[in-house]
Amino acid sequence: MSDSGGKNRIPIAAKAGILLLAGFVLIAIFADFLAPYDHTSQSRSLPNAPISTVSFADDSGSFSLVPRVFEPKMTDALLQSYTHDPSRSAKVELFAKGYSYRLLGVIPLDRHLFGTDSDEIGLHLLGTDALGRDRLSRLLIAIRFSLIVCTIGAAFASIVGIALGLVGGYAGKIIDTVISGVADAVISLPSMIVILAARVAFPLELPPLTAALLLVGLFTVTGWAEMTRLTRGLVKRTRTLDYITAARISGVSGSRILVRHILPNIARPLLTQATLILPAFLLAEATLSFLGVGLQEPEPSLGNMLAAANDLTQLREHAFVLLSPAIVIALFVLAVRLINTGFTSNEDRKNF
Amino acid sequence: MRIIGGQFVLQFFIRKIVQGILLLLITSAAAFFLLSSAGSDAFTSLRENPQVSAAAIEKLRASYGLDRPVIERYGSWLASAARADLGDSFYYQVPVAQLVLARFWSTAILAFAAIGIACLIALTLSFLNVRSRSRPLSAFTDGIVLVFSSAPRIVISLFALAILVSGAVTSVFWLSAISLTVPLAALLLAQFNQSLQDAMLEDFVRTARAKGLSETTIILRHAFRAAINPALTLFGLSLGALLGGSVIVETVIGRPGIGSLTVTAVRNRDIPLLMGVMIVVSVAVWAGNTLAEVLQFVNDKRLKAQDGE
Repeated sequence: MSDSGGKNRIPIAAKAGILLLAGFVLIAIFADFLAPYDHTSQSRSLPNAPISTVSFADDSGSFSLVPRVFEPKMTDALLQSYTHDPSRSAKVELFAKGYSYRLLGVIPLDRHLFGTDSDEIGLHLLGTDALGRDRLSRLLIAIRFSLIVCTIGAAFASIVGIALGLVGGYAGKIIDTVISGVADAVISLPSMIVILAARVAFPLELPPLTAALLLVGLFTVTGWAEMTRLTRGLVKRTRTLDYITAARISGVSGSRILVRHILPNIARPLLTQATLILPAFLLAEATLSFLGVGLQEPEPSLGNMLAAANDLTQLREHAFVLLSPAIVIALFVLAVRLINTGFTSNEDRKNF
Repeated sequence: MRIIGGQFVLQFFIRKIVQGILLLLITSAAAFFLLSSAGSDAFTSLRENPQVSAAAIEKLRASYGLDRPVIERYGSWLASAARADLGDSFYYQVPVAQLVLARFWSTAILAFAAIGIACLIALTLSFLNVRSRSRPLSAFTDGIVLVFSSAPRIVISLFALAILVSGAVTSVFWLSAISLTVPLAALLLAQFNQSLQDAMLEDFVRTARAKGLSETTIILRHAFRAAINPALTLFGLSLGALLGGSVIVETVIGRPGIGSLTVTAVRNRDIPLLMGVMIVVSVAVWAGNTLAEVLQFVNDKRLKAQDGE
């Protein structure tokens, strides 16, 4: 990607970013349909099972288009090592019957994109976790949770930040000094430590919905300042322009000038900043859940799934599947960066 | 070397010190009231224990002074904090000031190593870019910036842990430093690369070329000096970011420092310890910003004229 060179490199990067992000949004919307199994259902007989063994050969050994998945068999309960039983297998099928859910929260459905024709032998594309839960299903639901929390958090932080920035940039000196002073203090302090300190003011163990609301609240409280600084600067620059003076002379009220005349003209850089908040919040959510003070088990989040990777013996045996949430996080951040660099460079080149 | 006037220096430091005191007062008050008003403290979990009576818990709280009104407690906390006494940690049962300072040192050394690595990467690559002007190298630099800036510390430090477990690298310190440096290195590289390229278009570079100086000398002696100022601002801000980043890196890799101390304080609701962490972090961030500004003054005399208005 970085070696391709030439004029088209940046737009291609932005396209790749948009494609990646669209993938994430689709996963968030259809997580239930894509997840082959219920993310909370456990099978205690298969803890930390490896990725299912799939074969394209039928019973007689000749090639078949329908893949078969073999039942994993535990060989050592202590080391949790597995082989597979070649005599017991199930057919992989599309639109398989599984647990019931509501698609988009409304349509009741029990079909999933893929699964097996057997209830006993499951297809675990990322293996199972320590409680025998399907890791892929948990990862998909976790992506949905993280994306929703981050988007709402970014929206709130942006709204609060823009509002304070508009007021600070347009109001008198005292209000402006207070707002920008507090904003500078908030920006300079390490947000992770501030979030953690603020987190202690609430009970450490919380039900999922409360935890999600708290996360959104914490992100808003710590994330507004960057937006305020940017908005304030842009307002200060815009308010001296002739058309604003003209509006003021013709008697338009201050709040109307801010919302109807200044805001639309500075919307673009604000939007760019808002997209940059997204990965920061995704990381903050993952970090908090990783430390056990964000979303808690049994609900999956990218962070609390990663906590399993902090187990050294497990990490040595199953590095790839344990680090799969980390790969998801990196891909999401990459997607936002690709879009961001793509579009800012485009603006610079006046190709847009 | 006399660079800036004495009165000006005095004004600058008075302003900085007032700013620092205000920052400390605001953070400590905000943290204290938030943490105390929440109605839970180190003894909250004891309430679930049937063996401990409510009266015993109240007695315990009273012995730590937790039954007094919040304002009074903040007042006495502030009074003893002014004498550098931050109380005792509930969890570790040792003086907070001593504990926090020791852990802060450990993280500060790590942060300096991280900054060192970031500088090494940023300066070397930027220099090579400007010196060679090769397209593949420039594309490679863009690629490094993109990959490094999209690699979050939580991801890098887990991969570092995987490397540590595999036994390929055994130095906890350097693996932590590298995990800490990765996003910072990208920021610094992007910033310095850009400002160095801008500096090469300035008039003084043309003058230097006309004098017949070699290209390497021009870059190292003249352009670097002009390009380093935006990077210095980044340094001031990066100290805070590095302390924040140490939370995840130190917890994952298991290295004692201010980040892992914060996590312990949070898990055990150790409010005196958390207050100590907030204070030390605020002071560190303030000191970092001040240092960056001083360095900028020393490096760029033009700023003096700007600030005079």
